Amino acid sequence: MKNTSAASHASSGPTLSRREFLYRAAAVGGTGLLLNTLNAWGASVGSTENGPPALSGDGKGKTIIILGAGLAGMTAAYELGKLGYTCRILEARDFAGGRCQTARKGFTLKEYGGEEQVCQFDEGQYINHGPWRIPYNHQSTLHYTKLFQVPLEIMVNDNDVAWVYREGAPGPLLNRRVRQLEIKADMRGHVAELLAKAVKDDKLDNELTVEDKRLLLNYLAHEGHLSKNDLKYRGGEGRGFKVYPGAGTDPGPGMESDPLGFKELLGSELGNVYSGVHEIWQQATMFQPVGGMDSIAKAFEKRVGKDIRYGTIVQAIRQQEDGVSIDYRDAVTGATGSVHGDFCLCTLPLSVMGSIANDFSPQFKEALRAAPYLPVGKIGLQMKRRFWEEDDFIYGGHIRTNFQGIGDITLPSTGWQSQKGVLLGYYNFASQATEISAMSLQERTDFALAAGQKIFPSYRESCEAAFSVAWHRVPYNLGGWATWTPEARKTAYPLLWQGEGRVLLAGEHMSYLGGWQAGAIESAWQQVAKIHQRMGA
Amino acid sequence: MKTIWKGMLFAGLLASSVASSLVSSPALAEDLDGATLFRKRCSACHQPDGQGIPGAFPALAGNAFVQGDGDAVASVLLSGRGGMPNFSGQLADRDIAAVLSFVRSSWGNQAPPLSAEQVAALRARLHANAYDPAPPGGGRGH
Repeated sequence: MKNTSAASHASSGPTLSRREFLYRAAAVGGTGLLLNTLNAWGASVGSTENGPPALSGDGKGKTIIILGAGLAGMTAAYELGKLGYTCRILEARDFAGGRCQTARKGFTLKEYGGEEQVCQFDEGQYINHGPWRIPYNHQSTLHYTKLFQVPLEIMVNDNDVAWVYREGAPGPLLNRRVRQLEIKADMRGHVAELLAKAVKDDKLDNELTVEDKRLLLNYLAHEGHLSKNDLKYRGGEGRGFKVYPGAGTDPGPGMESDPLGFKELLGSELGNVYSGVHEIWQQATMFQPVGGMDSIAKAFEKRVGKDIRYGTIVQAIRQQEDGVSIDYRDAVTGATGSVHGDFCLCTLPLSVMGSIANDFSPQFKEALRAAPYLPVGKIGLQMKRRFWEEDDFIYGGHIRTNFQGIGDITLPSTGWQSQKGVLLGYYNFASQATEISAMSLQERTDFALAAGQKIFPSYRESCEAAFSVAWHRVPYNLGGWATWTPEARKTAYPLLWQGEGRVLLAGEHMSYLGGWQAGAIESAWQQVAKIHQRMGA
Repeated sequence: MKTIWKGMLFAGLLASSVASSLVSSPALAEDLDGATLFRKRCSACHQPDGQGIPGAFPALAGNAFVQGDGDAVASVLLSGRGGMPNFSGQLADRDIAAVLSFVRSSWGNQAPPLSAEQVAALRARLHANAYDPAPPGGGRGH
């Protein structure tokens, strides 16, 4: 048997087993070392930075200008404020949060080239049209939700009961909604049966010892729910019943359902909808703040709001020997003004930097243009009845579709069993997002409803209100998030990360956690430490 | 339409383009004319009349860069630049040639068309992503 990992190697030779090693580590170093050792031996599944930098000293008398009151800017203001710095945050909008937004009754949005949109959802209904997930491993975001006591609830990010729908799938699965659990059970069952057959027929003897074969067959029987005696897959309760069991004799034991055919499933490519393990940022446990993602923005705003100048559009960044001057224009009055500080943290998206005059070097200017931003669109649809819960027993999670411009339809993870709910009618990217965003608001809604109607008979008739966003057309954002090519990561990214003169950058674009709030927070943490060092305070 | 699921499996654009050969069949260009491609894919930002939005999206009408060197213009679609997205995965060579030829000859613009061959050569030279129009695009989002 070939050993492929350090762990299995350790258990087979004269080297220490993992358990022995840990026992010794604990004996020598106590539980603190034991914890570190456990992490060193295991896989890292949490933010490398899970708390703000521990800084001492005094920033009194020093002024830091922060451009943008998104999570990066407000994180920096909060941490710098603790050290005594004076922070002045310039924010173009009349509210804080950046992309951390929630659309609820009265929320307004006017995209470039678009109509004025006022959210008409009922009180208590909302859609997080910006970021809407907080994975368990984003310990930086979770640091602040804990510190600020922002109540969280579970966001159902995967639901085996949810429908999968593939338009154009060949064979009997054509235009038919299938539950994810049917596909999962049957694909895994069929594949396990096939592999078990190959093992039994000695087809894999070059790879496997006799003991390996015994262990693998045990595993396959378990993984694929194969019958123990002949290692065949015949379905099972995991894929749902034909008649669900109950009391007495009718329905009594109920009736098992028949598996979907292996060839049909393969041909439909429906099995490609899931992986054994999700990408780490999509795994359970997934959280969302109770009442909307902007609870996080508001918690920050409560603490640093006094430092924010709203409705302040940055016009120019100019550096002097002893500081930085920022020219701005008031969004309401049009009056111009200027603020001066000892240092500047710019958290504005790179996509909007082109409209801001600056005296950066040509290389830095060029680097600012190196990251294209992804067009991203979302639409929230308020439904007067939770037909997905009432008719189909789907409580949260995603309906996976292959509809162009739709992608996933996502059901709300809050307000279970209440009357109404807001679901996400599409989440589109790139050229599909630009295409849908060229439509009028009513056309976007009609487009979303036509798709959902193919899966849920009550979809269209239940819709009462819609709110859509195309982030690439949103003033002060101009895109969902930065997309870095491997080349730009090597050249422009480190240049921007270093900053120039007395200006440093932060935001999701200055991280490898692109598009995530954790990227904004963790980049701010590192830059705060650098600013503090540079100020020599 | 065959490549439908890969964007759901792999969040990163790069990861998905690597993996797509495993789960997808070769995709065909959309075969739309330049005007239709522009309306569908570009007009949301650059506006139907090519006038753009000052401070956000450059006007294409009367734009000297747009009417200049064809390779330079096409490289913006193939690589992205600033706020401008990278459309290399979502537009085939012939689509890029068609839409740019339309833009270079509309609203008073007067510049020669581009050929699909020219775009293909540029795509190779820039090591841009292959055309691979998987619907969910960037993955599952945030």
